[in-house]
Amino acid sequence: MLESLQYLIGGFSLATTTQNLAYCLIGAIVGTLIGVLPGLGPIAGIALLIPATFGLNPTSALIMLAGIYYGAMYGGSTTSILMNVPGETASVITCIDGYQMAQQGRAGPALAISAIGSFIGGTISILGLTFLAPPLAEAALAFGPAEFFSLMVFGFVVLSNVTGTSLLKALMMAVVGLILGTVGLDPVTGNERFTFGSTYLLGGVEFVAVAIGVFGIGEILVNAANPAELLERRVRVPRFRELYPSLQDLKRSMGSILRGTGVGFGVGLVPGPAPVIATYASYMVEKRLSKRPEEFGKGAIQGVAGPETANNSATQSAFIPLFVLGIPFGPVTAILLGALLIHGVTPGPLLIGEHPQLFWAVIASMYIGNFILLLLNLPFVPLFANILRAPKKILLPLVMFICITGMYSVNNSILDIWLMLGFGVLGYLMRRWAYEGAPLLLALVLGPKMEVAFRQSLMISHGDFGVFLRRPISLILLLATLVFLLIPVLRALFRPWRKRAVSEV
Amino acid sequence: MKADGTPGGVLLLVFGAVTALLSLRMPVGTFRAAGTGLFPLCLGVLLMALASIFLLTRRAVAPPPAQRDAGSREAPGSHRQMLLFLGAIILATLLLDPLGYPLSSFGLLLALLRILGIKQWRRNLLIASVTTGVAYLVFVHWLKIPLPMGWLGR
Repeated sequence: MLESLQYLIGGFSLATTTQNLAYCLIGAIVGTLIGVLPGLGPIAGIALLIPATFGLNPTSALIMLAGIYYGAMYGGSTTSILMNVPGETASVITCIDGYQMAQQGRAGPALAISAIGSFIGGTISILGLTFLAPPLAEAALAFGPAEFFSLMVFGFVVLSNVTGTSLLKALMMAVVGLILGTVGLDPVTGNERFTFGSTYLLGGVEFVAVAIGVFGIGEILVNAANPAELLERRVRVPRFRELYPSLQDLKRSMGSILRGTGVGFGVGLVPGPAPVIATYASYMVEKRLSKRPEEFGKGAIQGVAGPETANNSATQSAFIPLFVLGIPFGPVTAILLGALLIHGVTPGPLLIGEHPQLFWAVIASMYIGNFILLLLNLPFVPLFANILRAPKKILLPLVMFICITGMYSVNNSILDIWLMLGFGVLGYLMRRWAYEGAPLLLALVLGPKMEVAFRQSLMISHGDFGVFLRRPISLILLLATLVFLLIPVLRALFRPWRKRAVSEV
Repeated sequence: MKADGTPGGVLLLVFGAVTALLSLRMPVGTFRAAGTGLFPLCLGVLLMALASIFLLTRRAVAPPPAQRDAGSREAPGSHRQMLLFLGAIILATLLLDPLGYPLSSFGLLLALLRILGIKQWRRNLLIASVTTGVAYLVFVHWLKIPLPMGWLGR
């Protein structure tokens, strides 16, 4: 540990040079903007800006690209809270309570707690990255295909349990998401599936189109059906002291922030889109532990604090497998791996030994970047919260316009806009019929990984389903899944008995 | 439309059946050596099963009032307004290539503001031109995204 501290001090001396501080600041600002703009997520943002780092040394380049990554995670919550449009995938869950808080005139506390939680989660996670990187990365290797499959099944069932009012409806949405995830090329054989001869669908269903469509456009269309007097109504304008969280808000959120940090850090070490899974897992934990679970979905501050902390925590800890094993566990770290290779640096077990200056300078820059992001985001809370002063009949066309422009910019494709509009109509119907969008989106992201894990497990076991039960971690996850499936059934069975008991009392 | 989701349940049942049928046209293989169609076939069958259970037990399960999802509320307003709103977006998307991004966006914003009841043309023109101008600067000049320019680009 002492050795790590010494190296870290050396890293700080390199990260605080004027040049590297400037790149860290640029990365944080650009990342925040990328996160705020719907459609432009960290993947597209980093991919677009890799060429801009060609003239830099590898350390400065990685400091800037990492800044863009965690900056986007900070910024992504803003549009989720204000407009119900997730800026990037890890902010989908923030829409649920964040948007409700904004509708109640509490956008300020939601944005502020999101920035504070992101700072705390990110910073504690970097501490973990500093001291626990090698041993934790080894533990993550214990996960094989069977464990991944069971983990994802567990995730879907848990998510279906905590979002919405009907487990069946949520599970059906998850299966629809999994089916949509099979469109494109078979990840194992490379054969076409459900493309109907279209080259556009070969790459699969564009996630951003589904996210903006189901959440953003669906909400806009529901609002567009409102009569003029409702569209004229403005969200209650908060007074200045209401723009920041009260002491009670902070007290209620602190536990969620600390738990979100732990959940995010753990999930970041596991392969998959860590920040996305971390937000769902954290939301589930918060709702389960809450004394007032009925407040979730109606603007519970813990529903913003936990997931927003978790996604930043997971973002930082996802660097552990990238740096220590050289294995990117998610799409963003995969792009960062590509950027490192372009700069002549090969991540892996030898990275810390061969490029200690780069490794420790990047770690040190993360501490600085997180602090910069907190300083950048908190002062802007009143500005962002005031966006809601505009009546809906002005806001709706503007948000619609941003959605179309953002959607086009992802792949420069008008077909993406059509797909987004199609899912917008679906999102509208889902709202009218009370179906949840979150399980569909998570399933769409995890579907291909789940299929590969499923097929690999059965290939290894020669078609024997017992493989999922013989491996202890997988068995525990499946048993936990069963418990979550049984909870609503038991609740339904005991409801009449409890009612009778209460009426007798 | 009913908020209990029955029409959705029927649609999902059909969607599951179509998925299963289309999957059967692909090589399915065995669990030991799964083919391209096996996973979607399992999903199609699973969706059919879940939708069937949902439709059969719909009355037994407590109806989900629009208590959690704000969007599940029944909109008391006009569907005509929403359809006009959607129609304007579809038209603008159709015209995006021939007219170009600046013109089609400007027209779209004007139309949407008017459909939602803002009748002051001067105000609408100001909002539409400022928004289009800022978006053009950010996306085309700063982010270098090749948005279609249509007639203006020729």
